[in-house]
Amino acid sequence: MSILSLLIFLPLLAGLVILVLPASFQQRYKYVALAAVIVQMLLSAYIYINYNGNAFSGIDEESKYQLVEKLSWIRLDLGSLGQLQIDYFLGIDGLSMPFLVLTSLVMLVAILSSWEIKSNLKGYFALLLLLDTAVMGVFSALDFFLFYIFYELMLLPLYFLIGMWGGVRREYAAIKFFLYTLFGSVFMLLVIIGLYFSVVDPVTGNHTFNMVHMMNPANYVDGSIFNLAANQELFGIGARLLAFIVLFVAFAIKVPIVPLHTWLPDAHVEAPTPVSIILAGILLKIGGYGILRICVSIFPDAAIASTWWLGLIGVVSILYGALNALAQKDLKRLIAYSSVSHMGFVLLGIASVTSEGINGAMMQMISHGFLSSMLFFIVGIVYNRVHNREIPSFRGLALIMPKYTTFVMIAFFASLGLPGFSAFIAEAFSLIGAFNSESINGLIPRWMAVAGSLGILLGASYLLWTLQRMFFGQTRLMGGEDWKLKLTDINGRETLALTILAAMALLLGILPSLAFDKMNASVLELIRLVNSI
Amino acid sequence: MPLLSFCGILLFTGRPDRGGAFSIFNIAVSFVSSLILFFSIWNQDPLHQQVDWFTIGNTTFRVGILLNNLSVMMMLLVSLIATLVHIYSTRYMKGDSYLFRYWAYLGLFCFSMFGLVIADNLLLIYMFWELVGFSSYLLIGFWFTRESAVRANKKAFIMNRLGDLGFLTGIMILFTQFQTLDITELFAPNGLVAQTILSGDYWTFGTQQMPAIWLTLAGLAFFFGATAKSAQFPLHTWLPDAMEGPTSVSSLIHAATMVAAGVFLLGRIYPLFDETVLFVIASIGAFTAFMAATIALTQNDIKRILAYSTISQLGFMMLAMGVGGFNSGLFHLVTHAFFKCLLFLAAGAVIHEMHHLKDHKGLDFDHQDIRNMGGLKKYMPITFITMTLASLALIGIPFTSGYLSKDAILIQAFDWAEGKGGLVRLIPYSALLTSWLTAFYISRLIFKVFFGELRVPGYNTAAVSLHEAPAAMKNVLVILALFCLFPFFSLDPLNYDSAWLMEGMKSSPRAEHTASIFHTLIPIVVNVIALLVISLAYFWYVRREKAPDFSGNPLYRFSEGQWFFDKLYFRTFVGGTTSLARSSFLFDKRIVDGLVNLLGKVGLVLSVISHWVDRYIVDGLVNGAGLLAKAIGNFSRNFQSGRLQYYLVWMLLVVLTFFMIKYFSLAI
Repeated sequence: MSILSLLIFLPLLAGLVILVLPASFQQRYKYVALAAVIVQMLLSAYIYINYNGNAFSGIDEESKYQLVEKLSWIRLDLGSLGQLQIDYFLGIDGLSMPFLVLTSLVMLVAILSSWEIKSNLKGYFALLLLLDTAVMGVFSALDFFLFYIFYELMLLPLYFLIGMWGGVRREYAAIKFFLYTLFGSVFMLLVIIGLYFSVVDPVTGNHTFNMVHMMNPANYVDGSIFNLAANQELFGIGARLLAFIVLFVAFAIKVPIVPLHTWLPDAHVEAPTPVSIILAGILLKIGGYGILRICVSIFPDAAIASTWWLGLIGVVSILYGALNALAQKDLKRLIAYSSVSHMGFVLLGIASVTSEGINGAMMQMISHGFLSSMLFFIVGIVYNRVHNREIPSFRGLALIMPKYTTFVMIAFFASLGLPGFSAFIAEAFSLIGAFNSESINGLIPRWMAVAGSLGILLGASYLLWTLQRMFFGQTRLMGGEDWKLKLTDINGRETLALTILAAMALLLGILPSLAFDKMNASVLELIRLVNSI
Repeated sequence: MPLLSFCGILLFTGRPDRGGAFSIFNIAVSFVSSLILFFSIWNQDPLHQQVDWFTIGNTTFRVGILLNNLSVMMMLLVSLIATLVHIYSTRYMKGDSYLFRYWAYLGLFCFSMFGLVIADNLLLIYMFWELVGFSSYLLIGFWFTRESAVRANKKAFIMNRLGDLGFLTGIMILFTQFQTLDITELFAPNGLVAQTILSGDYWTFGTQQMPAIWLTLAGLAFFFGATAKSAQFPLHTWLPDAMEGPTSVSSLIHAATMVAAGVFLLGRIYPLFDETVLFVIASIGAFTAFMAATIALTQNDIKRILAYSTISQLGFMMLAMGVGGFNSGLFHLVTHAFFKCLLFLAAGAVIHEMHHLKDHKGLDFDHQDIRNMGGLKKYMPITFITMTLASLALIGIPFTSGYLSKDAILIQAFDWAEGKGGLVRLIPYSALLTSWLTAFYISRLIFKVFFGELRVPGYNTAAVSLHEAPAAMKNVLVILALFCLFPFFSLDPLNYDSAWLMEGMKSSPRAEHTASIFHTLIPIVVNVIALLVISLAYFWYVRREKAPDFSGNPLYRFSEGQWFFDKLYFRTFVGGTTSLARSSFLFDKRIVDGLVNLLGKVGLVLSVISHWVDRYIVDGLVNGAGLLAKAIGNFSRNFQSGRLQYYLVWMLLVVLTFFMIKYFSLAI
């Protein structure tokens, strides 16, 4: 068993252990989960250190992937249709490796914040670990069928985690989330089948779900529906464009983009803190990752044709999300909308198809992973103490919770893009890339970058306004003296979790090469692939 | 280089320290090293060292330091003033319960300011630029329990952010065009900017081509960034509010160093500007200088007067930049840093004493309002003398440093406007007018604070317990006062051309120099009228104790209301944005989410309908079929009655029917 499989199935194993442990061990479940996640983090750190950023850049060449693991999984003789070939095919490149590290870190923080969960611990931790497995699987699967299985596998634990351990309107939120995402992925399945019948494995001659083969136009059967040269049409538009749109919508729901974002505030607000952390920290990134790995890589021609729209959606998401955040009274909802705004930069960066833009988009996803986890963790701290997170209920928290306020300021300033933190580098380069695009490839106009930069201004406005309203001034709480007693400063466990996240954001802000060196070659390869069409 | 980074690290580790001694030691070390660097670099070859930072695409970003005359001068200035302010603060801030934070923030500020002046890369400058804004945010809001302080720091940060967008846009344009942000590569005499060709509608560099408008836009974008940091119109309103911070902070950050960063930035990227941009810079500078001076005339808060005075002086610097007086603008930056810092610190000493008086006697009055002061000359002679010296420098009286730099700007402005027609000529004249206004408002301040009698309401002046500021503060004032005098800058007190700073900056491009009548005329005109203005102020405020009453005058109200910029901005931008935000949230909730929920409802309704269809039609059919079978069965069951005669009758009937059908079907 190779290291990637270990990374994927370790949490599953731990989840099983939790399931078979008797209920008298209830209080120990969290330690089992914690141990699993720590091992996972060490594994991913090992992967990170040994990852060779330059020689093996992945993207459309199987031999350039690292830690490849390929076992034939399902072989069905279909008679005249040839052989059904589904592989257990894993591998990583510069696009996926950073997310493995991100996932393991965010998972660690999520487990640390699960200390607050009090009911039905067995089910909770088992589902959380199952989710972990699914996410790791999504990021390392290279077989589309396998990818899809992991992708759908994520929904199940999430549905239950929101629906059972969530807030007041949890059922509404859980169903909305589930149906929304399912809506996207059902159509994805159709495209997967279409791709399967269009692509053959050049070695065996069988049809295949291999994503890497799908990126090479030479592997498409002549005259098949997604063959580049065949130019097939479906419902009056090009089949490849249609497939691109379908896949894009599926992933864009995850990102999320405006106007497909409304599941996100509800899901975030109702989900328990650890699940919000995972949602914002990792799951949104699956959207961005999917767009890069699948939409852009498999359908580069369609991607080029639709960059203007992608850029526009990005800009609209940035501004619209920020404006909505400005209008919120619920702190968690505010942060949820700020996620929409921040993920807009990802889309804008991707749409530029420049090395600066895509590197910036990748960086933004990683940085947002750390920062949004940190923000949700912060909301969770207040909510756990007094079960209220309305901004107007608090005032002058800095006086009674000074350490907490320090972390809040770090998180707020980092996510409004203060230089020295990762979000600055990420947003600056997404914008520079978007601006550059008109000169390099003429894909998106310059005004989009300038309009997007307004989002940075709005970001500063809503975060600073919140700081002013909640943390500064003389202490005045809605719950009076009772709350004052409950609102104790953060403890060791909370400090640890916040410190990890803050340190990562700071580290990547000062030494962005830690991430860029590993991604850059793959990004360049991706751009070469897109431009070669 | 190692020494410098060493200082940077020192400053950083010094931050969590609780004592001021450590910070003072750190800043003193930076000062000494700046001094050493200054003497080794000044008028020598620039020092430029780099290391690789990160690679993105095929471009490698490098960071490093660039030390030339401009940056070592700024470094020396910043470290000297910072050291003095640190010493001053030991007494001024004494007894504050969060003092360690004060030192920490101050350390962060100094670090970012040094970073800003030595950075060799526009991206790096941008980073430090924002960090400077961030530390200023922290320091303005140092007393974070005060609502007004927190509002002020938010305003300052957001307005600066707005300017930063300009800066960022400028960076994007340059990066797109040149694929590098290195200052030396870009702006050296034969650097990349110099190699671009502006032909027709296109701005060409190598194979890169952009419409020519982007060159102007780049210049304007950087200038926009500078207007925010240097509090120029239309982004000046944060600076007066920033006075909510401790006075020592106002003096260091909002008078001497940070606000000068905008001017410094313009100095670094000077070759980029084309004629249009320079003209815009000059006119904005002149307008700001004039506007701020008129506002300063009527303010009553001592710090607010000084804040507007700072804005006005920064306007002068911008004007100098715009008219090609690169060196005189920077010269004024240096001289202004000293005398304005001194003015603030002296004002701080006054405020300190008034505050003590207030606490001591349990009185309630505004200790920053000059209407409550008066006669302080008797109690605080040193403060009085030093502050007067600084004011003279601000007005630009001969033998002070301000005379040298201000006249340099005015003369260059006249030289520049010469040969340009129409409204352009207004610019130097408005600057002239502004310098007279300056003379008036600052003498009003001095006369009201130090002359006459103490005017604290409800307080018996006989038992005054005011006294001179503590030694640490007093000595700093004296040192700064020395720097307001000419010998530090030029041995010839009347001729700015011989100032060593002017010589050192001369290498700058586009510094024109023409001898003209203005050189002798302007200083005389300026000073004679300034003296007249001062004596007018003296007569109004000292002799008669009371100025003529203007309060009914609309112009007066306009000035007192600070040209109503705050109100205008609040109504339009703040109000506009918040209502836009609210409506977009409504849109989100009602329309976007409404659609989703509607879709859900439609699904639900559809499912109800299909349930009905299923229950009554589909299932109805199935059940119907069953019922039918049952009915037929029931019906046919009747036949099986078991009675023979019935069977016979039925058989007969069937046979008969059969025959009838057979028979009639033939007929048919």
